[in-house]
Amino acid sequence: MNGPLIVQSDKTLLLEVDHELAEACRRAIAPFAELERAPEHIHTYRVTPLGLWNARAAGHDAEQVVDALVEYSRYPVPHALLVDIAETMARYGRLTLSKHPTHGLVLTTTDRPVLEEILRSRKVQPLVGERIDPDTVVVHPSERGQIKQTLLKLGWPAEDLAGYVDGEAHRIDLAEDGWSLRPYQKQAVDGFWHGGSGVVVLPCGAGKTLVGAGAMAQAKATTLILVTNTVSARQWKHELVKRTSLTEDEIGEYSGTRKEIRPVTIATYQVLTTKRKGIYPHLELFDSRDWGLIVYDEVHLLPAPVFKFTADLQARRRLGLTATLVREDGRESDVFSLIGPKRFDAPWKEIEAQGYIAPADCVEVRVNLTDSERLAYATAEAEEKYRFCATTATKRKVTEALVKKFAGQQILVIGQYIDQLDELGEHLDAPVIKGETSNKERERLFDAFRNGEINVLVVSKVANFSIDLPEATVAIQVSGTFGSRQEEAQRLGRVLRPKADGHQAHFYSVVARDTIDQDFAAHRQRFLAEQGYAYRIVDADELMES
Amino acid sequence: MGIGELDREAHVAEATSAGAAPRTLAEALRARGDEGLAALLRARPDLLSPVPNDLTQLATRAGTRGSVVRALERLDRFALQTAEALAVAPDPAPYPVLLALLTGDEGDPEIEAALPGAVALLREQALVWGEDDRLRLVRTARELLSPSPQHPSPTGLGPTVAEATAGMSPGRVQEIIATAGLPPTHDPVSAVAALTELFTDRARMGALLDEASPEALSVLDRLVWGPPYGEVTPNPAPPVQWLRDRGLLLPVSARTMVLPREVALHLRGGRAHRVPEPVAPVVGTARDYRPQVVDSAAAGQAHAALATVEELLKSWDQGGPQVLRAGGMSVRDLKRTAATLDVTEQLAAFWLELCFGAGLLASDGEADERYAPTPAYDDWLDLPPAERWARLVAPWLTATRTAGLVGGADAKGRTLAALGPDLDRAPAPEVRHRVLELLATLPPGAAADPGTLFARMRWERPLRGAAQAAPPRAPQTASGGPDDSTDPASDASLDLRSRLARWTLAEAELLGLTGRGALAGPARALLNLPLAEAATPADHGGRVELSVAAGRAATLLAPLLPEAVDHVLLQADLTAVAPGPLRRPLADALAVLADVESKGGATVYRFTPGSVRRALDSGRSASDLHDFLTAHSRTPVPQPLAYLIDDVARKHGHLRIGAASAYVRCDDDTVLGEILADRRSAALGLRRLAPTVLAAQTDPASLLDGLRAMGYAPAAESAEGDVLVTRADAYRTPARTAPVPVPDGPPAPDTTLLGAAVKAIRAGDRAATAVRKEPAAPATTGGLPRTSAAETLATVQAAALTGSAVWIGYVNAEGAASQRVIAPVRVEGGFVTGYDHTADEVRTYPLHRITGVAELADDQV
Repeated sequence: MNGPLIVQSDKTLLLEVDHELAEACRRAIAPFAELERAPEHIHTYRVTPLGLWNARAAGHDAEQVVDALVEYSRYPVPHALLVDIAETMARYGRLTLSKHPTHGLVLTTTDRPVLEEILRSRKVQPLVGERIDPDTVVVHPSERGQIKQTLLKLGWPAEDLAGYVDGEAHRIDLAEDGWSLRPYQKQAVDGFWHGGSGVVVLPCGAGKTLVGAGAMAQAKATTLILVTNTVSARQWKHELVKRTSLTEDEIGEYSGTRKEIRPVTIATYQVLTTKRKGIYPHLELFDSRDWGLIVYDEVHLLPAPVFKFTADLQARRRLGLTATLVREDGRESDVFSLIGPKRFDAPWKEIEAQGYIAPADCVEVRVNLTDSERLAYATAEAEEKYRFCATTATKRKVTEALVKKFAGQQILVIGQYIDQLDELGEHLDAPVIKGETSNKERERLFDAFRNGEINVLVVSKVANFSIDLPEATVAIQVSGTFGSRQEEAQRLGRVLRPKADGHQAHFYSVVARDTIDQDFAAHRQRFLAEQGYAYRIVDADELMES
Repeated sequence: MGIGELDREAHVAEATSAGAAPRTLAEALRARGDEGLAALLRARPDLLSPVPNDLTQLATRAGTRGSVVRALERLDRFALQTAEALAVAPDPAPYPVLLALLTGDEGDPEIEAALPGAVALLREQALVWGEDDRLRLVRTARELLSPSPQHPSPTGLGPTVAEATAGMSPGRVQEIIATAGLPPTHDPVSAVAALTELFTDRARMGALLDEASPEALSVLDRLVWGPPYGEVTPNPAPPVQWLRDRGLLLPVSARTMVLPREVALHLRGGRAHRVPEPVAPVVGTARDYRPQVVDSAAAGQAHAALATVEELLKSWDQGGPQVLRAGGMSVRDLKRTAATLDVTEQLAAFWLELCFGAGLLASDGEADERYAPTPAYDDWLDLPPAERWARLVAPWLTATRTAGLVGGADAKGRTLAALGPDLDRAPAPEVRHRVLELLATLPPGAAADPGTLFARMRWERPLRGAAQAAPPRAPQTASGGPDDSTDPASDASLDLRSRLARWTLAEAELLGLTGRGALAGPARALLNLPLAEAATPADHGGRVELSVAAGRAATLLAPLLPEAVDHVLLQADLTAVAPGPLRRPLADALAVLADVESKGGATVYRFTPGSVRRALDSGRSASDLHDFLTAHSRTPVPQPLAYLIDDVARKHGHLRIGAASAYVRCDDDTVLGEILADRRSAALGLRRLAPTVLAAQTDPASLLDGLRAMGYAPAAESAEGDVLVTRADAYRTPARTAPVPVPDGPPAPDTTLLGAAVKAIRAGDRAATAVRKEPAAPATTGGLPRTSAAETLATVQAAALTGSAVWIGYVNAEGAASQRVIAPVRVEGGFVTGYDHTADEVRTYPLHRITGVAELADDQV
């Protein structure tokens, strides 16, 4: 009766982290409950049907789940919830997808009424072929992903026993000379490999590329890597050459400028989704080789056309990598059903405690609009309001003060609006990287920044992701894409690479008080606050005085 | 039924001459001890209202249709089967005949063991009387249970040969006799007797059937377990013809044949029922839990129930939904309530009815009628949790209102509304009690297998459910019920009793009376009282008993409930977690200051600018809030939260709005400029009065809303310029009493009343029997016979039964008195119809005009 866990009637689980049994309890509930929030005292997990089915897929049964809840729960667990868990889990495995020697891919059931029910669904009908016997129906091989997704939505998840193709073998080894995979990276690789396909969630700067490399070394097969942009593609290539047995020649880049297809090919989402005359000419890249592994970097950005195509790739192993599986469009579950369930998840603060990412001091600086600005803000059109308050002149002064305060350190100034960034660049006498900056120029500037030739860099959202700037210690955010939670997290991620001197990272978000900028900021911070990053709030006036 | 009537008359006549054995039910009752009478009155309390004058009246009343139906409904399946068997047996039937009807030719030790108990029960309830050698089912019961073409018997047996051949031509009977190979006789009565004898003789009958073709046997097979009637064409197939020729099938009409009872019994091996059920089905155990697990699960649910009730009524704190004109809540309001509680509508209806039954909510009785919590709710809130639970559970146990019906349709197809009329179901308290009692028969921690439990419930009252399927307010349907229940098809659909039992199991789990399907400790304490008293809350003794039991249950529950905590954990993501139920004042204060995000064992609160403003609006200052959080938080107050409060407080009250003239004033004239410049303020009709004051055309409330929507935090201002404190007043109905359960029939009598009643009946009876001989004297002197009204009724009824003539004194409409000799045929509705020997025609006399009645000496007829 004195456990660390409190089971809520809305199927959330509250875990008191300071409790002596908290760690054991976390291990017991991790297989079936999703970590939703991890602030300082009480972590919130959620029990979802998807999580329960994933637990079933991983070999846990309802009895284990119920026992874990009952054992660690502080208060009696509502009976209805236990019944619900048992019923939900019992739905898994009534349907199985498997290979039939003569008919190819088939869907079999152990419970005939279920098959009848789903075959009556209009969404399932186009995906299946002839009925072989009362319990078996043929599935078109290309619809394997689609039918799994549809069945999941109908509440009868199919157990996929049809396996994976091995793909074209290609020797890949990790070159662990003077470094080795960190324990959590190893766990992530093992978790992924054991499960077949799935998503690995690691904080920014925690070394997701190495998890990808580790997975490739396990698969030892040709690999297609999908990344967000060209700079990121080059970084992947650089890292792979450095960390694995692969050579420059074995790695191809498939982007707007180059179209190389090699045993390991790195492609950008942008080129894949380029549409010409109503078709996506580059999607055939997926079929151009017998890929044994497909890696999706920053999987939370997966664009819709790729979603559609991924559904057809169910026979290949898929690895999704992300730091922030929150999508403002709410399509997280599509990621899970198409790429695979979450195979590994580490709270940011836990990795920080292990010293693999730098501790960060998050500060929200509140600036006051001047009287004339307030008047102008009140009269601004609704769609212009955010732009207006986010680009107030006061922000520039605060940014200048901050840059002065951290003089000598590597500082990134990040913003949304080009005018604002240009102006800041002018005042701070710093180069600006924005959409129109060429890739070559970008790389030159990033290199200069890494080498310390430039101390301050002003960047637009092109630098949100996958830009590896290990020495950046201060990030100043002056504006963002409205209330995007994952953008905030990614931007913090730019400064989280562990510093050589164990230095603390600083993240400043400059916000205009009493405007929608402040409301958006509150929403943006939610993900990080839930990961345990406590924002301090300071007044711009205080900051300028000190 | 003509022949049957004759038959019975003969038997009655025979009994009359027998002497020592009781002649009538009244005499049988008279021969009983006081204990026996008390037992009868306890089992059939409807006989007591009003208390009968004497035993004759008691016997008459015990034979009325309504009372007999009620008594039959309360029989268990085996007693009912026994009564049904008696209804198809000769009247009177010796015990061995009855036994043979139930066991069949093979015999069955279980039935042999159970039958004496069943007969004793029927006898105690005055449904059967007479010694073992001549058992008689009371006439009304016999009529209800014996077969007729209109309503087939539950036994599936048809009429006897004698009954079936009653209207047949003698020539046809002769043919049958001849074909069946019996010696010819010209007397139709002896012919029928011979045929009956053949059919009841197992050996001769066997020989006769050996000659039958397989097709003929399969025809018999189809009819043997009923219904015994079959359609035939005018020229039936040879097998049917063969059967008809031998009387194995007898014609009922031109197109219908019936299988005579004797033949069916022969084919059945003598059994009246296909499956006699002498033993009550055992309630099985589905799963065993440790009793601690059950108790803790139940306590968790009890806690959840309290939280739900509180949440429900809190959401109605400012007044609940409107009362429909026909009574009850609209479907939309029910949906809304369900959404508030995050439960299904069915469950929401349950919680509503629970609160209603406990007197926590009621209609306010205003012109614009709405539901609202009662003052009793405020008292209830102040009780300790276990007490609160007891106040919910005790009324639930005895309530006749059934939430499970909500959403269904009544007899007229109207939807039954939650809190509305027509939700009372008389059997509900008894079923609830019985279900819990049956659960209590299992060892602690054992969860019952619902299937076996429902089977047991059905066995105990096989007729009851079907009979009460219609609302009790439609007496026509209710009294018509037993007839319907004899139709085996209606058993297939779920009857009310089974549904009640199902609901009881679900509701008991919701209330924490059971945990994981097993009865919890506190519920056992609650049940520790006899059923009869619990079912009649009107009876003062029972009420006290139940409240005492509820108190005991609450004492047992108290230590199992989670202990209230007095602190929360504050987190930097602007949430607060209360790791258990919060103490009341703390919970109330926090509910104002933050929004509830998740409920259950713990509560998760989220602070938002809106919630903080709400707290400031309720009159608390920023420093109050800081102190409050510091005092109640186990963890330091996170900086963002402190900042949030300061930020909102800084803006709060910055703008002030007057109620009287609807103005906006602000020391900062830029703000006013800002507002005026904002296009959204146009609807508010603002005008700048002075650099720091704006006037508005709209009322202050819309003005407040409008400005808040624009992102300001104005405060309302009184005429004196003080800030108006907006704090919610609780809305209550006038004092209301909880609805009183509507039990079925009169209350069960207690021992004192029973004793008094028995004494009164005895006294009345002694008086009645003492004057009984007197009318004989005036009869000879030629004056008008004078007897009491009860005596008159009993005598003419007896005469109608035996078909004998009586001598009556009669006063006609003009007041002229006369004496008449009549042979009563029918006594009903206050009239006696009979053959008037004096007038030589059939006449009907109102009973109240008959001054008295005397039996005639035999030579006078």
